[in-house]
Amino acid sequence: MPAGTSRTGARLRLAALLTPPLLWLGLAYLGSLAVLLLSAFWTTDSFTSDVVHIWNTDNFRTLLTDPVYRTITLRTLGVAVAVTLIDALLALPMAFFMARVASGRWRRALFVAVLMPLWAGYLVKAYAWRVMLGEHGLVNAVLAPLGLTGPGYGLPAAVLVLAYLWLPYMILPVFAALERLPTPHLEASADLGAGAWRTLRLVVLPAVRPALLAGSVFTFSLSLGDYLTVQIVGGRTQLLGNVIASQVTLDLPLAAALSAVPVVLVVCYLAAVRRAGALDSL
Amino acid sequence: MRNTNVWKAAAAATVLLLAVGCGSGGSGGGGDDRGGGFRAPDVPMKKTLGKGEGQVNIIAWAGYAEDGSNDPNTDWVHPFEKQTGCKVNTKVAGTSDEMVSLMKTGQYDTVSASGDATLRLIASGDAAPVNTKLVPNYKDIFAGLKKQPFNSVDGQMYGIPHGRGANLLMYRTDKVKPAPDSWRAVFEDAPKHAGKVTAYDSPIYIADAALYLMKTEPQLGIKNPYALDQKQLDAAVALLKKQHGNIGEYWSDYQKEVTAFKGGDSVIGTTWQVIANLTKAEKAPVKAVLPKEGATGWSDTWMVAAKAEHPNCAYKWLDWIVSPKVNAQVAEYFGEAPANAEACKETADPKHCATYHADDESYYKRVHFWTTPVKQCLDGRTNVQCTDYAQWTRAWTEIKG
Amino acid sequence: MAEDKTPGTRPAPPATAVRLTALTKDFGTVRAVDHAELAIQEGEFFSLLGPSGSGKSTLLRLIAGFERPTSGRVELAGRDVTALPPHRRDVHTVFQDYALFPHMTVEQNVGYALRVAGVRKDERRARAREALATVRLEDYGARRPAQLSGGQRQRVALARALVDRPGLLLLDEPLGALDLKLRQEMQTELKQIQRTTGITFLLVTHDQEEALTMSDRLAVLDGGRIAQTGPPQEIYDRPATAFVAGFVGVTNLVRGAAAQRLTGRPGTYSIRPERIRITPLDEWDRAGTGSPGERSVTGRITDIAHAGPHTRFRVRLDEGGDRLTVLRLNTSGSALPARADTPVRLAWDADDAYPVPS
Repeated sequence: MPAGTSRTGARLRLAALLTPPLLWLGLAYLGSLAVLLLSAFWTTDSFTSDVVHIWNTDNFRTLLTDPVYRTITLRTLGVAVAVTLIDALLALPMAFFMARVASGRWRRALFVAVLMPLWAGYLVKAYAWRVMLGEHGLVNAVLAPLGLTGPGYGLPAAVLVLAYLWLPYMILPVFAALERLPTPHLEASADLGAGAWRTLRLVVLPAVRPALLAGSVFTFSLSLGDYLTVQIVGGRTQLLGNVIASQVTLDLPLAAALSAVPVVLVVCYLAAVRRAGALDSL
Repeated sequence: MRNTNVWKAAAAATVLLLAVGCGSGGSGGGGDDRGGGFRAPDVPMKKTLGKGEGQVNIIAWAGYAEDGSNDPNTDWVHPFEKQTGCKVNTKVAGTSDEMVSLMKTGQYDTVSASGDATLRLIASGDAAPVNTKLVPNYKDIFAGLKKQPFNSVDGQMYGIPHGRGANLLMYRTDKVKPAPDSWRAVFEDAPKHAGKVTAYDSPIYIADAALYLMKTEPQLGIKNPYALDQKQLDAAVALLKKQHGNIGEYWSDYQKEVTAFKGGDSVIGTTWQVIANLTKAEKAPVKAVLPKEGATGWSDTWMVAAKAEHPNCAYKWLDWIVSPKVNAQVAEYFGEAPANAEACKETADPKHCATYHADDESYYKRVHFWTTPVKQCLDGRTNVQCTDYAQWTRAWTEIKG
Repeated sequence: MAEDKTPGTRPAPPATAVRLTALTKDFGTVRAVDHAELAIQEGEFFSLLGPSGSGKSTLLRLIAGFERPTSGRVELAGRDVTALPPHRRDVHTVFQDYALFPHMTVEQNVGYALRVAGVRKDERRARAREALATVRLEDYGARRPAQLSGGQRQRVALARALVDRPGLLLLDEPLGALDLKLRQEMQTELKQIQRTTGITFLLVTHDQEEALTMSDRLAVLDGGRIAQTGPPQEIYDRPATAFVAGFVGVTNLVRGAAAQRLTGRPGTYSIRPERIRITPLDEWDRAGTGSPGERSVTGRITDIAHAGPHTRFRVRLDEGGDRLTVLRLNTSGSALPARADTPVRLAWDADDAYPVPS
């Protein structure tokens, strides 16, 4: 008897504990997504910009038939892929140095250095890059002696700054995976005749692959959804994010339809990554 | 198991997108059939003025509600607060579209709307008719600004005129030589400054291209840059697409333009006088001119929100901002013609009103005030349908590619 | 260096598989290996025996190339490899916790060295299967390491290290994680494999019984120094230091006044417990005096422990009160009236008191 009541009590406590977060997830989080998708089927009064609640699918038709949206979608996808690749290429050696080479004080200092950008505000960092990439900015000043000029504002600058912004999200999981990688595995590989590159390819990369994929989920989806960076350093470039942002004021339903594009892309990406087994380590 | 579920979800989402893409024929939106007489929704007008509510939330163009933070000597917000007890909360908007969108949130009491926003706000019922009897300074407003198509409906004022001016051509005097006197500098001649040309980031900027075509390609038959049939719009879009290749970045945030010109990332492009002033204050060698083709411009009106939470303070602000002294200050700071005739006596530069042609209606024939394009051609043509703002919006996205 | 591993092209086998010269390794201020001198013959089963912290694992890592020595020299098959990284040395290691690659199958693990050496895939598979057959795991090639038991993993690690027949195989406490029965089986199996392959084995262990039973020769390490090198019997019978005497097997170490009393000479002596004969005093007196060259003392049993095949006695000596341990094999019909407090006489040949430098 007492056992039964205490079990009921435990269940009640569990329910009380889980209800608020589940409500949040269900109502606030998924609910807002549902409303967004729903409003994509409405239309806008072209004069007053008022949302008119007439069910139609014109917005999605526009997305699929108007070549400009295809161009923008592909460009955005390209940016997300480029940012993810750059971050992966930067994160691997950095995380490797942090996890397996640097000792004690060095490692702590590097850890702080990697995390520090996360403490500063997003806008502050983006505007700092705007200053650095400007005509008389630091980038041009550093490159001038080499006879080079920086990328200026534009697509390359947007990729560069996004890669900078999301780098910690790639380094941290890769660092954790490399730290977990047992030293004897590396020694065994060398012992069996593999040089550094061979060990990297055959032993290290397979071990950090799930972490790389997990990190890429962050860099990919964050890049897909970003609109401020491209607005600040992207020059005349249009990506999905800032098209959505500018349409929100003019045509909310079209903006809602547009924002379904990154949602679909991210869902597809997650499914692909899930298949590769990376979400197990999330 | 979970694996297939994720795939199913992704597939379902894709199918959904495809399905809606293939379905549905025409049946445009609700606003397409806007035609003949403009009818304003029935929104009650304020009858009497009561006590101030202690604060007022306003949407303004940059430079319209200065509190001394940009320039300690430029402050007409604090004196207002001291006099009326209404604390001012300012939201600076970069485009008319932003203003319309902000007004729809219902969190603002008053807005300095340009001609391309006023009628939209009236039509949507977001702006209320204004009782000019409750605004004593209204009597001194230039007659030429009263009861205009962009600020009144059937003789009922929907706001208090604030001032008007032209969009100018700004350039770096050290980089752009010889000094330009035509919009050609940002169109045909844009490649000279490839990557350093800037333009206003709003569909309404299409009118700038239309204005230029109106002068340079008369065979297109453009009479009013806001009344473009499909062929004329296509010509403007083609011009802007060519320009796009030379654009460094577009601007709608005035601070972004100031830093771009100061840093040399932009060297030529459209601007407002106030931005030119701010850029000069940052010690950048810039100059702003009105090119020979004329320009697009604005005639602004302070409107009161239909659901204003602080209507009394809003009316106090309307009266304050068009009072002779303050109207003169704003006009000189922003670089526009004041709306209040008495303001011309209060300007620091006694010739300000003459310079900006404050009551010279013939001058303002050269300036094409921002107006929302609609299907019914604004230039009076009835044999064709003009392109509306929704089409301009789509075109703008296409131009930026 | 891949050609070194192909038996056909290897130069005529030099007699010495491993030669260490004045090898020293410091970790900060700690000297882990101190001027180690060692020569291991080709085809030998050699063990490094020592307690934890004696430097035996460091010594192995220096030979494998995972550590660079502070000074001194490592030669493998007559070639100086001191400056070479691990993958340029003709040495494979069986790691203490096996270090199998978790993302590869058993067969891929075993074939790793061949893959790295650029061996074609089909040949690689054939040789990997062959190596797995050597350790009796031919049916396990498709499994992942996580699906194997500890003993099976151990054998996979062995197969992986043997697949391309290295000149030297290092085994770092390979049996430490196995239970007793499995460990004894593996000892036999290891010895067998070493004999059939003829590969030089270098085993690191802290288990003196393992070292004594399996090795042709062994070295005992004490605080980073090699205390003694030799065949098991020699190490056992003639320990070079008191440490070796105490660490290898059980012994009675007597020094100072006790040594004077028991041997009639100064110094330190090791008397193995099984070399001491224990006889009840009354029985001794009936038998008369002991043989010449034999020393004997009287005492009383304080403690008796029956350990299956033998019995261990603790005896307190009447003169001086020293305690000695005595082992007596329980052969048939030789039961000793064993009770605590029984007066006994202990006797041993004078030669069995082996002098050790203290």
